[in-house]
Amino acid sequence: MTAFETGDRVRVRSADKPGHVRTPEYLKGKTGRVESVLGEFRNPEDLAYGLSGLPERPLYKVGFRQADLWSDYEGPADDYLYADVYEQWLEHDEGGIT
Amino acid sequence: MSHGHPHEEVRHKSSPYAARIRAIEVLLLEKGVLTESEIQDRISYMEARSPANGAKLVARAWVDPAFKERLLTDTKAAAMELGIDASGPVEFVVVENTAKVHNLIVCTLCSCYPRAILGRPPDWYKSFEYRSRAVREPRAVMGEFGFEPPEDVEVVVHDSTADVRYMVLPMRPAGTEDLDEEELAELVTRDDLIGVSVPRYAGSQSAKS
Amino acid sequence: MTGVHDLGGSPGGPVDKGQHEVEDWERLADAVTIALDIKGIKTTDEHRRAIESLENYRALGYYERWVAATEKLLVEKGILTREEVDERSAEIENRWGGA
Repeated sequence: MTAFETGDRVRVRSADKPGHVRTPEYLKGKTGRVESVLGEFRNPEDLAYGLSGLPERPLYKVGFRQADLWSDYEGPADDYLYADVYEQWLEHDEGGIT
Repeated sequence: MSHGHPHEEVRHKSSPYAARIRAIEVLLLEKGVLTESEIQDRISYMEARSPANGAKLVARAWVDPAFKERLLTDTKAAAMELGIDASGPVEFVVVENTAKVHNLIVCTLCSCYPRAILGRPPDWYKSFEYRSRAVREPRAVMGEFGFEPPEDVEVVVHDSTADVRYMVLPMRPAGTEDLDEEELAELVTRDDLIGVSVPRYAGSQSAKS
Repeated sequence: MTGVHDLGGSPGGPVDKGQHEVEDWERLADAVTIALDIKGIKTTDEHRRAIESLENYRALGYYERWVAATEKLLVEKGILTREEVDERSAEIENRWGGA
């Protein structure tokens, strides 16, 4: 049972978390769609400091339109980018909410 | 290049870290933290891996549609079928180029790469310039490698941010119907497997020497 | 707060396609780092964290970062001391006839 499923619109949290984080800055606050659930993995942010990283949390392949990531993107609107994002970094995006 | 006798390294003048890692190695051996054979195993492991492995997987996928499906759905198992041992905690995903989609792989945060299949990544893949620009201007970066997909082909970038490693399955070039698997594999380069270029076949040239 | 390693989208010049010949010390850096990983002495995540925390991250080459990070973790875990590594490196440099 995962919090998100393929096709869900999700937003990457904008949180500023010190220390080791595998969510790149360029994705924070951006909205995309879940492409697939990649499985469950231990949390790298904790593993990085010798902690167990448990419990395992789902990792998602999330797709973004490049035009949504970069205001100056030089390329067709359909160009896309995928990144693998841990569940704790995602929230539902209802769309249409400012 | 063999590891050589533990205390006889001579060609390490390019960086102060050369002596440092040698010192670390010797200290770890003395303290029994690692053994020589554990270190040699890792050296042999990397030496045994190269882009030729990826080329073999691609060529087989091109000639055998059932294998291609297995490559796309369970890359580690498919690799093992061809004698390529990619076992370990890291997951692999192969992404397929089509007439409509061209894939490009990057790891912006460090330089993750499917090492267990392809060996070490090229220097440029690890460069700050590639890591910075591949996500933001993939077409310009590919242009620097001499490859420009048409505007109606979607460029899809995969940033390897977690424990999945990606490899591209390029499209089989036109005119290669008469080539055998070995000849097909020779068309596939490391750069094609990362996605900054695509395999080319001149047609009139024979792939055999 | 963007880490120095978090490069996605940063400005950058042309990609240098030159390839240097891998040196023995780099193969050793790779081997020692991964061997420690496999034995459970450190994890990939600790390795990345250690690399990201290097003050001279931008100035170091790829395997230089690996060596610095591996040393940092070994010292952190009390397996080696910086002084031991300093001393032994100096001996080795000496034997090699200087940098």
